[in-house]
Amino acid sequence: MTMILILALVTGAILFGIGVYGALSQTNLVMIMMGVELMLAGAMVNLVAFWRFLHPEAYSGQMFVLVVMTVMALEMAVGFGVAIARFRAKGSVEMEEAEDLKG
Amino acid sequence: MVAQAFFVGVFGLAAIGFGVAVFRTASMVRSALALLFSQAAVGCMFLAMQAEFLGVLQIMMMATEMSIMAIFMVMFMMDPGGLGGMDMSHQKRFSIGAGVSAAVVAIAVALLSDWGPAAEQVVDAEAQTRALGMELLGRSMMIFETAGITILTAMIAATAVAIPVQNLSSKDDKEASE
Repeated sequence: MTMILILALVTGAILFGIGVYGALSQTNLVMIMMGVELMLAGAMVNLVAFWRFLHPEAYSGQMFVLVVMTVMALEMAVGFGVAIARFRAKGSVEMEEAEDLKG
Repeated sequence: MVAQAFFVGVFGLAAIGFGVAVFRTASMVRSALALLFSQAAVGCMFLAMQAEFLGVLQIMMMATEMSIMAIFMVMFMMDPGGLGGMDMSHQKRFSIGAGVSAAVVAIAVALLSDWGPAAEQVVDAEAQTRALGMELLGRSMMIFETAGITILTAMIAATAVAIPVQNLSSKDDKEASE
């Protein structure tokens, strides 16, 4: 059983690493959001594995996963709101061009 | 147990493979679909780990979310089909280093920690869903309600940010001059 736990934790870690790469390397806002989604997916895999293999009697573990899913949905909603505003103002969602707020 | 390990491993590999494909393809629609398949594989991992409610919820939510994302990709990207072969990435070496470092540290923690004995059995899906409902409306009710209020706030904020800004002062001046 511990072997499956470690398998799930390693999968979550690799998904998190891919997400970090995507969030840092992409220049487009929507692609950056995809990287963040992968990072959150990695975190969720770990949470479910901890719940299933370490504390299956504690349902706050599943509750935590629901909170992370909520965060994913919120990130998408607010991110697309910002993307629409940015596209309307500048005609692009390329983040390399978004240097207006630099001091 | 062998079947569980097999399915967790297979769906884990699928999630990783599609996750890599998200940033490997030039077509933005393919990127969104790869992310959808990656998230669906994560949902299948939940099912394999006997978290049925969360697995089904993950697959349903991500199918909707990624479909919307694909539409936004087509709307916003300069080259959504990837036919021009544009490279839309920067600081690649730093990003690869950061991603590999994060994954290696997390894997090291997973492998080197003493997790103690793992639970052999969990209750069936019906009892789990009931217990989760009791948790949501009992001990974790404040967190659940806060999540609901946060979603409402984010919906209003996202709509407010997305609607076009009207210059009211110039409109008033125009009306006054007329």
